[in-house]
Amino acid sequence: MTESTSPTSDASSAATRGALRAVLDLFSSVKLGIWLMAILFVYSSIGSAGIVYPDFAAGNWNILSAENWAHDQLRQWRGLEMTEFEWFHWWPFDLMMILLAVNLAVTTVRRIPFKPVNYGVWGIHSGIIVLIVGSFIYFGVKVEGDTPVARRTVVAEYDARQPDGTTKRERVEFVASPGQRVERGDGAGRVMLEVRSIDPSWELLTGEDKGKRAYSVTVAVEREGKRYLRQVLAGYPQLTEDLIFTGDQSQPVKRSVKETGRPIYDDGLALSLDYAPQEWFYLRNDLAKSWALYVRPKGASSWTERRIDGLPLYNDYIASRDDVFQSGGDDLLPVDPIDIEVGPTAPDDPLRDVTFRVNGYLRYAIPRSRVADAGPDAPINPMAFVEVASEGGRAAGQKASYRLVALDPQESRADEGLLRFVHLASESEFGRFMRQPNLTLRIPSKGIEIREVIRDVAAANPDAPFVEIKGSESEGGVSYAYRVVNLQDGLPVGGTTVAVAIVELRTPKGLFRRWVFDNPALTRDVKDPVAADAHGGPKLEDDSIEITLDPGNGRALVVLAHGPEEGRLRLVSAVGAEPAASDVEVGRPAPIGGGVTVRVEQFFARGTFETKPLVVPRAQRQRDAMETFAQIKLEIPGCRSEWLPFTRWVFDSADEALRRAPYEPRTVKLADGREVELLFSRQRLPLEADVALDEFVLSSHVGGFIASEQGSIRDYRSRLRFRDEGGAWGEPVDVSVNNPVEHRGLWYFQAQWDPPDSRPREGEVLSAGLNYTVLGVGNRVGVYTQLAGCVIAVLGMIYAFYIKPVIKRRNRAAVLAGLAAKAEVEP
Amino acid sequence: MKPGLLIRAAIAAIVLALVVPGARADDRPFHEQVDLKPIATVAVQSDGRIKSLSSLASEMMGYVSGPRRIAGQDPVFTYLDMLFRPEEYRRADVVYVKGAGPREKIADAILRENLLPEMADKMRAFRKSGLISEVLLTKPEVLAALREMQSDLLRTAKVVDSIESALNVKDPRFLLAKLRIVPRGDGDAGQPWHGIAEVMFADGKEPVPGAMLVLAEKTEPPADVPAEARAAVADGWRALVNGWLKGDAAGVNSAALALAASLRSIDATHYPEERRLEWEHWYFENGHMTKTWLVYMLASILLLLGFVYRWPKARLAGFAVFGLAVALHTVAVLLRWYISGRWPNSNMFEAVTTAAWFGAVGAIAIEWFVRRTAMFSVFALGGAVSAMVALMAAYFLPVQLNPNISNMMPVLHDVWLYIHTNVIIFSYVLIFMAAVSGGLYIVHRAFGGAPAFARVGGAGSLILDGPRAGFAEVLDGVTMVLMELSFVLLWAGIVMGAIWADHSWGRPWGWDPKEVFALNTFLVFAVLVHVRLKAKDKGMWTAVLSVVGAAVMLFNWIVINFVITGLHSYA
Repeated sequence: MTESTSPTSDASSAATRGALRAVLDLFSSVKLGIWLMAILFVYSSIGSAGIVYPDFAAGNWNILSAENWAHDQLRQWRGLEMTEFEWFHWWPFDLMMILLAVNLAVTTVRRIPFKPVNYGVWGIHSGIIVLIVGSFIYFGVKVEGDTPVARRTVVAEYDARQPDGTTKRERVEFVASPGQRVERGDGAGRVMLEVRSIDPSWELLTGEDKGKRAYSVTVAVEREGKRYLRQVLAGYPQLTEDLIFTGDQSQPVKRSVKETGRPIYDDGLALSLDYAPQEWFYLRNDLAKSWALYVRPKGASSWTERRIDGLPLYNDYIASRDDVFQSGGDDLLPVDPIDIEVGPTAPDDPLRDVTFRVNGYLRYAIPRSRVADAGPDAPINPMAFVEVASEGGRAAGQKASYRLVALDPQESRADEGLLRFVHLASESEFGRFMRQPNLTLRIPSKGIEIREVIRDVAAANPDAPFVEIKGSESEGGVSYAYRVVNLQDGLPVGGTTVAVAIVELRTPKGLFRRWVFDNPALTRDVKDPVAADAHGGPKLEDDSIEITLDPGNGRALVVLAHGPEEGRLRLVSAVGAEPAASDVEVGRPAPIGGGVTVRVEQFFARGTFETKPLVVPRAQRQRDAMETFAQIKLEIPGCRSEWLPFTRWVFDSADEALRRAPYEPRTVKLADGREVELLFSRQRLPLEADVALDEFVLSSHVGGFIASEQGSIRDYRSRLRFRDEGGAWGEPVDVSVNNPVEHRGLWYFQAQWDPPDSRPREGEVLSAGLNYTVLGVGNRVGVYTQLAGCVIAVLGMIYAFYIKPVIKRRNRAAVLAGLAAKAEVEP
Repeated sequence: MKPGLLIRAAIAAIVLALVVPGARADDRPFHEQVDLKPIATVAVQSDGRIKSLSSLASEMMGYVSGPRRIAGQDPVFTYLDMLFRPEEYRRADVVYVKGAGPREKIADAILRENLLPEMADKMRAFRKSGLISEVLLTKPEVLAALREMQSDLLRTAKVVDSIESALNVKDPRFLLAKLRIVPRGDGDAGQPWHGIAEVMFADGKEPVPGAMLVLAEKTEPPADVPAEARAAVADGWRALVNGWLKGDAAGVNSAALALAASLRSIDATHYPEERRLEWEHWYFENGHMTKTWLVYMLASILLLLGFVYRWPKARLAGFAVFGLAVALHTVAVLLRWYISGRWPNSNMFEAVTTAAWFGAVGAIAIEWFVRRTAMFSVFALGGAVSAMVALMAAYFLPVQLNPNISNMMPVLHDVWLYIHTNVIIFSYVLIFMAAVSGGLYIVHRAFGGAPAFARVGGAGSLILDGPRAGFAEVLDGVTMVLMELSFVLLWAGIVMGAIWADHSWGRPWGWDPKEVFALNTFLVFAVLVHVRLKAKDKGMWTAVLSVVGAAVMLFNWIVINFVITGLHSYA
């Protein structure tokens, strides 16, 4: 046995030794190193800049024409979907790095003797190995994200009147952000608070800190019939004061102290400013994809995160073309479904039994509502797109397009009622649109009855004169006169619609307004216009005059009528003296006089609204938008699929949401009736310590900050405080551009800021900015190992290029000197 | 012919020669008669800086007419003329449109509606020069074409944006608002200077020009400026405008002097030195001295002749011209430093011109070390060629390499800007110089040169060794010296950038395209070093790889910067 095994084992160990030698030889080859570097060059080039390849347009074979070359990011292709970090952390790259490190180590040890002339090469090679090791550590544990930190929270405490007449102390908190608004309670206990304005550097005018600047928040308060403004200053609670409305146009608000002698007008409400601590940071999608779905049962106060692993980033994935709207027919999205399970990933998930699925992803899409045909079984719901174009006259070349929904009181009219779309249930309803609106006035005592077409209304023309009613002079010489203030048709009232003419009447009994409805039972007189909608009281001030209203076409210049037969469209134009009707066809322009044509572009007798994401064509996408416009299609068990748009940060409630970071959770109903709220966002990690923003300072170059001049900004500085383990806030630390701070292993960077509004936005409070900061947060384990490797390598290079030749020359000189000495001795 | 007639003719000729130039002097166009210096050296506050009106005007007119000068006028003249007589510029072709594609689309839109042959000629000229009038640009058919181009964010939206900003800048109200030339009386550096419009209605002797009345509403004059100073400034300005509109050059010149003096007198302690403003005006008026490329070109030719024909006189002359070019270039760099108050390395223009200066100065330093070797004068040749190319780029591409001086972005305010950027750009110019000698090596070999190479490894030994013959050895040696220097500097520069990025962006290395291609450049040279250990034709490999390395470096600087933007997009 021993005899027979021994040669075999010798042979096998020889074979092993041979194989080992071959491997060692391979790894000590300079050629392998050169090849690895060449492959690395190609790999990093295509991963970073992408690839450029010829893409000939039809019939054009000119390779010098730029149009015939396409540029593409290989790593972003379907199937790869890699960020730069993922590409440079993929196994082929890691393998190359390991091979390079082994190659360097083996070559250096086996082929390069460790002696003074070679210290340089040893230094370079060992430096690179240390760098590779350091990088594996660094990128292996790297986390990086961002987090918004608001400057202050407004805390309100007040006595709320309960329905049973008692009062209860209530507390409400909301972020200090311009326009932020909360409303609690109802009836007598209702409280409304709205941040009316914020001055980030309000100059103190009194007190020992006079001349210093503080963060000032002015809140509009409405409670218990009181309306006032309260100004609170961060750090100066003793300077809180109320401003009350005076009703005087020249000075609409006055300091309470001037009016009542006390700075606080309403003692029942305490308002203060507190820090707005942040406890999370959100992982950036560019390090590795870090999508997450946030879920909670409706009514719960905090969210539970569910990781969405395997969701793509760069390309659009749809299960069906019907899922989305696409503009243009040139490059339709391919149907490429995905199916990713989103189950609970946290142990305390409140919806452990519910699993969602993602079956669509869009990189860049915006929600869009479009009109569509609902099919023959759907209820009648006429919808039309109408274009009004002016061909002659002053408005030549002007066009306007309208979307009209006949059965929707608001959407059935456009341009203040000049254009209307109506649905006729029967032919008899058509007649009224052929008449101008008119009033019939009767004064039975005088035997007067006149019928007047309503042409001019005071709402449009304040100078519209009163019209005397002839022969109506009474004994005192006072005659009856009237003018029409306004006429409205199609007003929705309690499930039906009415027409009303507001008529100003001057009678012997005085001046008053009469609301004349098409239904005479509703007609009444009103003395105080503010109380117009209040019921009760005498109906008519003066019953000696009777007025009835025939709304006719309701002063509409153009009425588009559908019906009574499905699909029949008629146009009534009141541009001429008398309304004229004509049949219209979809797509055919119909002149209505005055050089104006009306064209029905699209029409659906049974229309419906469809809301879907509109995929924005690649050429129109903002390059720096990142994932802002991403959406996922989420399949909700027991419910239909829904598109969820991306939300950058997850706030617990709208009271915490910041400007430019909308908070719109989606509420869905599961099959069992439970209501669930959903948000599509990024994964988050807890900060090692809560962080608060004490102050945000924008420093500027000479001449101060000018919003339109970017170059005027010198630096952004966030003064932060970290909460220690005992719950107290630590000393303030400053974070500015290029100056991060470290706190318990995480580094905090100044990343973004809250700029002032350049122009007022529709219906919004103008912001002076500086109400929050966005911090970059990340770790940097292994960075000193990397640095050590780099420094060793650079020292090695200097040695190899500039010290080694000197040593070599000295050695050569020594050898030559030795030879010369020998030559001298020998003869 | 009678002699009398000849004499008379001769006298007439002399009289004409004497009189006509004099008569011409009076006929010079208005813009030549006006002495712009006093007004061009007025200080103005813009974009967080106090600069000369000369540089503001050149920046603003750059937005309007791109690289072109309007009608040979100084930008300061055009600025004021456009402000005072805006109607004259509505029909003039002064708005610059970049790119052949957009020009084509605009011209097509116009020619579809207008079939006159004059218009076809006009559009031909427009396609060439890129200049078009506001009237044509705001025609409905052109606006429709622009809207269409704007929807393509990848290709043409930027062009439309720049047309829009040109039209906005052209607006006299904008031009007036930008003239924040009245210093604060209280010297508060945290508050903006006052626009001339705030002061120009102050009580004074000179009538208020109608051209100004339509542009601005009369407001309360700023309280911090003393009343008499306000009156002086207002009078100076109004006299300037009135004189300008009348075409009275003498009146304009005296008004400009008075205005400049009254502005300085408001706060003489904080007002910039006159000398600085004058140099700034001179620097902008002289095209930022980028014409020095011509001197570098002459030096390159002479040095090349000296090297190729071993012609000592040409070499000597080449060195002299090279020295002159470096001196001029140094003046340009120092002047820019003086004007901007910081070492010029924070935008593309500064990076390219400063890199070239490093190369030229570095070449002179290396020449001193190799003065006794056969490599003498080749480094100067490389430096001259590099600087010539760089300054040509700055001269011919003012749109891409914007020469205006502006404040740095907050992120650039760091000591590592000066360390990292300068080390990197120095290594880049050395790489380019190595490619010049490598390229010459390839040419030499292509014309039948022997496959020789420099035998002794290590740059230091090459510098220390004595003269040696043979073009191939010399060129290979030069390439190796430059390559080794850039190898160390590039690596060190990348590491320094990583140190900066670590505390600025939160990661030392972000795989940003610019970083990756700096590393790629380094990889090419790492391959070069190792190929030299293995290859037989070491010289050819070295030359080819040095050219490849330079190509990767240029790709990084040009394509990555302008096409594939990343974090480094401001550099």
